[in-house]
Amino acid sequence: MSSWSRKVTAVALKSVETAAVRVLNPSNDASERELLERIAKSKDQAAFRTLYGNYYQRLSRLLSRMSVRREDIEEVVNDTFWVVWTKAADFRGASQLSTWIIGIAYRRALNALRRAKIRPVSDEPFDEDSISVESTDAAETDGQWLALGLTRLPVEQRMALELTYTLGHSCEEVAAILDCPVNTVKTRLFRARETLKLLLPELAGMSGETA
Amino acid sequence: MSPRIPDTHAEAWALLPWIANGRIAPEDREWVETHVQSCAECRAELAAQRMIANQVQRDGATSPAPAASDEQRSFNKLWARIEASESATTPAADARSSVGASRSSRTVRWLAAAVVVQAIGLGVLGMSLRGSEGGKPDFVTVSNVEPRINAPAVRLVFAPGASMSTINTLLAHQGLSIVSGPGASGNFTAVLSADAVATGASAESVATVISKDPNVTFAQPVAR
Repeated sequence: MSSWSRKVTAVALKSVETAAVRVLNPSNDASERELLERIAKSKDQAAFRTLYGNYYQRLSRLLSRMSVRREDIEEVVNDTFWVVWTKAADFRGASQLSTWIIGIAYRRALNALRRAKIRPVSDEPFDEDSISVESTDAAETDGQWLALGLTRLPVEQRMALELTYTLGHSCEEVAAILDCPVNTVKTRLFRARETLKLLLPELAGMSGETA
Repeated sequence: MSPRIPDTHAEAWALLPWIANGRIAPEDREWVETHVQSCAECRAELAAQRMIANQVQRDGATSPAPAASDEQRSFNKLWARIEASESATTPAADARSSVGASRSSRTVRWLAAAVVVQAIGLGVLGMSLRGSEGGKPDFVTVSNVEPRINAPAVRLVFAPGASMSTINTLLAHQGLSIVSGPGASGNFTAVLSADAVATGASAESVATVISKDPNVTFAQPVAR
């Protein structure tokens, strides 16, 4: 068994479910719905400030990883919460509140990318030289490979992957955020997985070694 | 109703990311896990997806987070935008009808507070008018027209629970006097006393200090 396979096996033993629990704790959703209700009913600024704080960092990081320019991130976050402030009474609760808010941010971010004429996937050739040869930490090097690979994904595929793995959303929630059918989410993630395997030779070889 | 058991390799393969993140639908979990146990290809793919999930999470957690001061500054900009919008669409004289019946009790509280604060402000303004010659402040409303005076001014919104005595103490400490308000969003305008200016205070410095007080939810220098 190669060192790569041993490492992957070790990683596989670690559950990533904690992230999902952290982000999508039902009690968080209930308390955030209370905040939204206060905003809708009494234009409560304190509730609005608290809700804003709950999402500011999460959205800023997500937008950064969508390649939204640094100078546009604040505008997208504030445009998102402008909608939250003005449409709070319209939220019917059919989905998680986080799904609604992140969905708004996603659509605003796509608009920002279009305005900035930023292609959601890099035109640069895959630069293997950018991987540090100085690093002796295998996990760090693998992380660099993967980070580089992620930048090659079209924004729709990358968002499906980020929402699933970074924010821990279910397939149905990702579909709600991206406003597309569930099967489209599965297809996007399937393609993202295939693309990463093509780009990352270690990852591509892993199935064969382990099978 | 018996559960659906597709148990096909392709369907299980497509759902592996949600086995990896623990968010697969309960009705799918059992049959997918059963398939994975018997399918070496799916087991390897699940391991790969868990590795990617772990790396993506680690990458997300280590990416630089915006500073807390950035968050407050960003929120202040949004709140100013909201205030400007609501002021533009809601004439102050007709505030009650535009904010809706659900806000009536809060509006009444603000109006009551406004009467007291305005009385204080008018008193201060009256004394100021008597004691000076020329260059009289000429305020209209904070939400529609910027004050046409030279004194540094700060726009403020107080926390709903802040008492009058607390507000008075807070203003006195900063050398501020309310001269107008509340606007449609409950905002007041306060000007800096000559003494405070003489000791080096500015609208910016006072807004920065006072914004950190829990009884103040918004503080911004008035641009002139």
